[in-house]
Amino acid sequence: MNFIDVNSVVKQYDGHLALDNVDLHVPQGCIYGLLGPNGAGKTTLIRIINRITRPDSGTVMINGKPLEDKDIANIGYLPEERGLYKKIKVADQIVYLARLKGMPKNLAVSEMEKWLERFELTEWRNRKVEELSKGMQQKVQFITTVIHRPQLLIFDEPFSGFDPVNAEQLKREILQLRDEGATILFSTHNMASVEEICEQITLINHARVVLEGKVGDIKQQHKKNLFMVDVAGCEAIEANENMFEIVPSDEIRGTLIKLNEGVALRDTIAWLNDNYTLTGITEQLPSMNEIFIETVQNK
Amino acid sequence: MTMVGKKSFIVMTLLIPFLILLLGCIPVALAYINSSADSSVTRIAVIDESGNFGAAFKNSPNYRFVVMKGDKAVNAHEFYKNAGEGIDAVMVIPANVLDGQQATIYSENTIDQGTINMLTQCLNDTLVSAKIASFNDPDLESKIEQSQVNAQVKSIKWDEKGDEQEQSAQIASILGMLLSFFIYTFVLSYGAMIMNSVVEEKTNRIVEVIVSSCRPMELMMGKIIGVGLVGLTQFLIWAVLLGIGYLVLGIVAGGAMVATNPEAITAGMNMPGNADMSSGLGDVMTALASINWLSLLGNFVLYFIGGYLLYASLFAGFGSAVDQASDSSQFTLPIIIIMMVALYAGIACMENPSGPMAVWCSIIPFTSPVVMMIRLPFDVPWWQLLLSIVLLYATAMGCVWLSARIYRTGILLYGKKRSFKEVLKWVK
Repeated sequence: MNFIDVNSVVKQYDGHLALDNVDLHVPQGCIYGLLGPNGAGKTTLIRIINRITRPDSGTVMINGKPLEDKDIANIGYLPEERGLYKKIKVADQIVYLARLKGMPKNLAVSEMEKWLERFELTEWRNRKVEELSKGMQQKVQFITTVIHRPQLLIFDEPFSGFDPVNAEQLKREILQLRDEGATILFSTHNMASVEEICEQITLINHARVVLEGKVGDIKQQHKKNLFMVDVAGCEAIEANENMFEIVPSDEIRGTLIKLNEGVALRDTIAWLNDNYTLTGITEQLPSMNEIFIETVQNK
Repeated sequence: MTMVGKKSFIVMTLLIPFLILLLGCIPVALAYINSSADSSVTRIAVIDESGNFGAAFKNSPNYRFVVMKGDKAVNAHEFYKNAGEGIDAVMVIPANVLDGQQATIYSENTIDQGTINMLTQCLNDTLVSAKIASFNDPDLESKIEQSQVNAQVKSIKWDEKGDEQEQSAQIASILGMLLSFFIYTFVLSYGAMIMNSVVEEKTNRIVEVIVSSCRPMELMMGKIIGVGLVGLTQFLIWAVLLGIGYLVLGIVAGGAMVATNPEAITAGMNMPGNADMSSGLGDVMTALASINWLSLLGNFVLYFIGGYLLYASLFAGFGSAVDQASDSSQFTLPIIIIMMVALYAGIACMENPSGPMAVWCSIIPFTSPVVMMIRLPFDVPWWQLLLSIVLLYATAMGCVWLSARIYRTGILLYGKKRSFKEVLKWVK
């Protein structure tokens, strides 16, 4: 079942079309990537799901029902441009933002203690935000996003500003939130993180959805019959006009070949085995990065 | 409301009454310094050609007089030169001074106005006595004293039953001015506070987090109401502290004055104007009692809330269009100009609180909170009052609506500076 259904949403700003008939279907308990180049309309779509702005037309359903104001208590939003009150103490800030989401004070305080401990921020609880390092501020912001245990989490570039160690911790936390039942909408340019944690994606470009589906399926659709072939010895593989061509690559551990249209893989393997001592052959699926660039540039 | 927790805010809240008191003390202190610094003695030679009035000038701590009977042969300038350092000025009293010829004071340095006033007063008193004496009527002095009349027109107002109520136009206008000035200051300073808070949340980027938890309209209204209540509390604290401060200061200063300078007090008491002080205070009391406080304060609260809502929402709306506090002036300036116009209109209306300008300005919603306060102590026809209040609240609601629409868009837009026209487009 889908947790979010965005149906043909249109949003126009002052003569500029920000979203043109956009659909988005995020299954329950999924980590869903919302991708697109800058200015494609991702933030606008996120703001519509957040009820910060209203669509000109189209509907947003959450859990099968039209989105209402009360639903925002069930959403946690980490905006790309992070922001906290600089002069307020960490603990006061977290509790204030949690209570804005409708959390009772006692619960907010006890949850906050847990999270502060988890992120090793307990000793900073009475410091002002401006005294914290950037990484710690990011952690505080993350806590304010998840403290009320929302069913839907929206992260806009969550890894920006984190060092690798903290990014790894953040990734673990996100996966755990997913395991606890949260649905996660994840907007990013960072394709490596998409490959790592997203199960499905939607790619938006120029206000339209241009690509959509499971990460594995998309890779399959975009595969180009490329294989990495490894043979014993230092023999160079030569192209076989009837079967494949050699693709120049930087790879030193093997040779990249591209099968001709209609040639079966098993025949190629047989031919390679006859002519060389084949030690390995792996299919080369395109990276999300390549797919992203290709899709965006083609449109 | 984040700013209330700031130390600086609390300190300022407590400190401002003292600053005001201090400011109030500055003129007194300056006058004191002035008089004590001026301890040098001025020596004046009086050449009395009339031969009768030189005795009018008595030495005092600050003035020394050398009186000499002279005739026209004495040249004042030569006399001054011959005297050398010993004399600061020479005063010449002509022989026929009683018939209106002017006395003259000569000096090389400029003589200050205080000295001239003192000399004039001395001479005048002596001349008046001399004139009275010249009529050879022993009772004349008392006759003149009795004929000095201090005419005053008392204004009495009939209430509905025809009972008489004394009123004082002066007290009423001062009261009105105070109330209108209060509204003016409050709206401007707390409006600016709202604007700063909006801009701060926007530059902090926290506003995006907040509006994902509550609606922009709620955030804006929360801010306006919150700041309003903070301001009222602050004003209340100030009023109480100021009251206490003035009391304490009055006791201390009064005691100090009696201790250091008893003459000044008695001199002050003897001044003719001050003789009415005690009866004047009574007049103020009766005038204050004659004012319909219930309706005055009731209306004050109505206008206060309406005016504050109107302007505060404008400040919030336009504040949201700005990225940095430094860019805000292009939007605050028009608001401030309107407020200034209202204040000046109010001051002008004190002259004639029922004139056409007063009537119009007290009905136009942008000026009415300030101007109507000045008219209120004088009775305002109920239909004007009603019209004005209805218009004010309708406009305030309109402004809140308008600002909410600007705010909704403005808080999420960053980057270039916006023009007035562009901002108004967001209303759509």
